[in-house]
Amino acid sequence: MRRLFYLVREAWVNMRTNRTTTIVAILTTAFALACVGIFLLLYVNLRNAAGSLQEDVKVMVYLEDRLPSEQVRELERTLKTDRMVDGVLFISKAQALGEFRVQFPSESHLLEGLGENPLPASFVVTLAPSFRSPDAMKAWVERVQTMEGVAKVDYNQEWSSLLAGLIGYIELAAIGVGILLSAAAVTIIGNTTRLALLARQEEIEILRLIGATRTFIRIPYFLEGAVLGACGSALSLGILKFAVELFRQQIQLTGRFSGIEGMISFFPLSVCLALVMAGMGLGFAGSVVSLLRVGDGRA
Amino acid sequence: MDAIIQLIHVSKWHDRRAALSDVTFEIEKGEFVLLMGASGAGKSTLLRMLIAEEQPDEGQIFVHGKNVTKLRPSEIPYLRRKVGAVFQDFRLLPKKSVFDNVALPLIVQGASEKDIRRKVTEALRAVDVDHKNDQLPSSLSTGEQQRVCIARSIVNGPVVLLADEPTGNLDPERTREIMELFKLINARGTTVVVATHDPHVLKDVNRRVITLVQGVLLAEHRVGEGVGG
Repeated sequence: MRRLFYLVREAWVNMRTNRTTTIVAILTTAFALACVGIFLLLYVNLRNAAGSLQEDVKVMVYLEDRLPSEQVRELERTLKTDRMVDGVLFISKAQALGEFRVQFPSESHLLEGLGENPLPASFVVTLAPSFRSPDAMKAWVERVQTMEGVAKVDYNQEWSSLLAGLIGYIELAAIGVGILLSAAAVTIIGNTTRLALLARQEEIEILRLIGATRTFIRIPYFLEGAVLGACGSALSLGILKFAVELFRQQIQLTGRFSGIEGMISFFPLSVCLALVMAGMGLGFAGSVVSLLRVGDGRA
Repeated sequence: MDAIIQLIHVSKWHDRRAALSDVTFEIEKGEFVLLMGASGAGKSTLLRMLIAEEQPDEGQIFVHGKNVTKLRPSEIPYLRRKVGAVFQDFRLLPKKSVFDNVALPLIVQGASEKDIRRKVTEALRAVDVDHKNDQLPSSLSTGEQQRVCIARSIVNGPVVLLADEPTGNLDPERTREIMELFKLINARGTTVVVATHDPHVLKDVNRRVITLVQGVLLAEHRVGEGVGG
């Protein structure tokens, strides 16, 4: 117990003695991790947006004109039993015309002169959630397009692909920036540990001479690194939360893009905790690197 | 009697200069040995080798049955827990109280709170600084600081106590007191090896003397009337 207390106290004393270095290390780590956090937030929010957009994605399967009702029912059966399909809604030619008139009342007179209803019957197909990715949708559409009685298959492919591409780029950027700035955080904390080590060489020497093991000597520095990392990470989350709230407020104030503020979300608590733990891990790694580079003597 | 320290043909070079040349001797359990020699004679090198701070270039060293030259790095701390060390410059932690300084070897070993309190109090009482428990080393006199250093070296009951020029910073009166302390510790069964260049400490010590000159063991003799612990 006393040993544990001693180790924790030593870590605390290290940080307090090198107060300026400690504060600078926490701030710079927080800044580096906040930069990573911005990309993570973008990624999370775009994924959410993509998810809700994809929920609304409906595939229109237009039927050939004058298709016998037997064949329509057969086609409906085929679609409904498809494992990629969640729901199928049949829109007859008459229903399509009715919907057109409701949606475009001022243009409905255009159809009057044509005599016969030019709008095709169709199926509105909702795909199962696991098959809403652009690739899966494309493959499904290509397959359905070849079915007998199908005139055309339409869906909002461009939007879906564009969003998926953007998410892919942000994911890559998040990984790249994450690796780069995490390495920076490790270096910053490593340098702080190195300064603490150099400042306490004499004490380390005494500890070695009275029979302290390497682990015993190193633990306070590992603890210090982990605490610095965790504090930096927690602070970066605070900065990000503040920035998100400020952004929401600005949107509300300016009135532009109204409604979007409700869609912007922050990390859930579990992710926040995971990020603090990750910061702790980075700090620990910084101390390990530093101890390996500086060393603490033989034994 | 059993040999607690054994040096067998030990040699060590520092920058092509022989710090120790083919040194061979034994120290029995419970002995009080003075390691004499001028500055640069190899006394400190020899003591550092006994706690595996340095390794010999040739020869073998046994301490408490362990071949120090063949210890793995992870075994060295456990050797040092059996060998107390006292230094000329005391090497106390300036920001820790007298009590905390003396408690350090016990904390390192993971002793219980109760044991720490009891053993530290006993050690401080033995060196007569128990009334300065809560003070920082800087508020003590040099003699008192050396006493605290000695208390730290004996607090975990080492089998051997090594002292490197322990009286180097002390006046004759404090020197005599410290040597008395070593004699008391020795009388309780601990083997004591004191390295010194000061021939005056001999006046008060009736024990075995090993003399080193430029790394060579010149003489081994006994002074005073008593021999052994």
